[in-house]
Amino acid sequence: MGAEAIPDVHGHAGRPPSSCRPIVHCPFVAFYEVCFNFRMNTIEVQDLRRVYNASIGAIRRSRKEIVAVDGISFHIEQGELFGLLGPNGVGKTTTVKMLTTMLIPTSGRIRILGLDVVKDAKKLRPRIGFIFGGERGLYWRLSGVDNLRYFGSLYHLDPDATRKRIPKLLEMVGLSDRGEEKVEGYSRGMKQRLHIARALLHDPEVLFLDEPTLGLDPVGARDLRVIIRNLQAENKTILLTTHYMFEADALCQRIAVINKGKIVAEGSPAQLKSIVSDLSVIEVEIFGGVDDRLPALRALPAVDALSIENREQKQVLLIQSPAGAEAVSTILKLLDGVRVGKVAVREPTLEDAYIRLVEGEA
Amino acid sequence: MKRLTQLRRHLRVILVAAEMSLRNNLTDGFVIFGIVIQPMIIALMAFWMLRDQGPDDIIYIVVGSGMTGLWTTTLFIGGQAISGERWTGTLEMLVATPAPLHIVVIGKTLANVLQSLSAMVATYALAGLVFGALPTIARPGWFALALLLTVPAYVSFALIIAPLFVLNPEVRRLQNGLEFPVYILSGFLFPIALLPGWTTPLSYILPPYWAARALHGASSGGDVADILFSMAMMMLSILIYGLLTARLFRRILYKARVEATLVRQ
Repeated sequence: MGAEAIPDVHGHAGRPPSSCRPIVHCPFVAFYEVCFNFRMNTIEVQDLRRVYNASIGAIRRSRKEIVAVDGISFHIEQGELFGLLGPNGVGKTTTVKMLTTMLIPTSGRIRILGLDVVKDAKKLRPRIGFIFGGERGLYWRLSGVDNLRYFGSLYHLDPDATRKRIPKLLEMVGLSDRGEEKVEGYSRGMKQRLHIARALLHDPEVLFLDEPTLGLDPVGARDLRVIIRNLQAENKTILLTTHYMFEADALCQRIAVINKGKIVAEGSPAQLKSIVSDLSVIEVEIFGGVDDRLPALRALPAVDALSIENREQKQVLLIQSPAGAEAVSTILKLLDGVRVGKVAVREPTLEDAYIRLVEGEA
Repeated sequence: MKRLTQLRRHLRVILVAAEMSLRNNLTDGFVIFGIVIQPMIIALMAFWMLRDQGPDDIIYIVVGSGMTGLWTTTLFIGGQAISGERWTGTLEMLVATPAPLHIVVIGKTLANVLQSLSAMVATYALAGLVFGALPTIARPGWFALALLLTVPAYVSFALIIAPLFVLNPEVRRLQNGLEFPVYILSGFLFPIALLPGWTTPLSYILPPYWAARALHGASSGGDVADILFSMAMMMLSILIYGLLTARLFRRILYKARVEATLVRQ
């Protein structure tokens, strides 16, 4: 999976790489950027809101409004890798679908590369790429190569250049020897890698990656992260949604934490971690149920936030506490009668900041 | 120059979409059944019902059964084209590419109609087996010309229905309801003169009616002026339906993006 340069797909000789192109095709903007070393935002989202209408009931049907995205605003600079972090069902995918022209926002405004996603969708589509996590979105009865060839024509790419580019992209995603096979025989990881090749086929300036490592095995996920880093090195503007904290921490320059359709925090991974810098995390391994003890634990003044993680046959209580090690004895007293394993006190991570932010909204 | 480039791009999308659709369909048992088996069953039933008619009517049955097969596959596989895209999660991918969706659907429908024409060939061969001799086509030149126009006529008609599948997945329930009325109103197996007078205008707005009239006329040795008139009406309907399609797709796609119906529900 090398980062070898891939030929231009548009059949234009001497086209500069995307890293050298101005983000807005306007000479005044380009002039301003050069003179004042100022970078315009590649993506600008203002007060974005999306409401779904759902019908409830089989006989007496009534309609219910579900607010998926509730007035979010953020911006992404050119060449930046921005993370949208949040649990499942909080509006991350809906946001990406609005950014990629698949859904019309209920209200608010999105501008990408200076173009409005609703009014200028036609002009915008050739310049953006997207990947949605999971196995859907491919033609399973066609081969990997045919899938790419089909999407190449849908992006109006030069057929000869596409034919030359496909093997390079397949090599980049590690599918060189499987390209002629039908997609239905691919593993989940292989399908995901084919999605990446599809998204890069037209050399987009902006990429939207929605949970790209979802369901991948650790090696597949690691390889994918290498590809994402290489894309960032090519100065692509990337929006990544994920609920894997370490992934966001390792890849993103800035992160927005989203919960219940709203952005609850935004900043660099270090800035977000600083939210919990005054806290320590106490990890208590337990065996058996502790549901009856949770209200009392949460009521302790030394407990700021509490969550439970399942790890094989045991559970781990993750307690954020300003008291640190001093709170351990009080916590253990409340767990009297419960089989307790190892107890550890550690420094907080981005995941702890995330738990605090999401739990604080709960 | 810009228009020429756009036309070339659209043509390429149509050809590649048709090629991929053919490749995809040839590995789908449901599609194979729709294209080959079902029209043969309809033809066999028609042969059985009309076996006492004279030998001159055999070609009428062959063409009529072939057209029923053509319509069934156009309707079901055409509808399936959109429903299938939605089911596999590729519909919203298609919508988010620069190629207009109606151009992609033209390619897919073209593949379906061309495949469905094999139903007519199969019915022709079946008639040879059942009646011991291949039926004669009275005006083969006119028949070939009418058949050539039948392809875009069917494509244009299928394209009017396709946007409804984009808007609402439940529209597939209407497929069964659309199958037989079009058989009857288009005069595939018997003349529309046998129907009540008020249905005639309905037949006139159906491109398959004009296709059936031209093909029946050419195969049975009908009046050349009437064959020509039917072909002109086919061309007119292709033009009208084609213009309506682009507009309808644009409106319905916008509505589907507002109502979030591009994904599986």
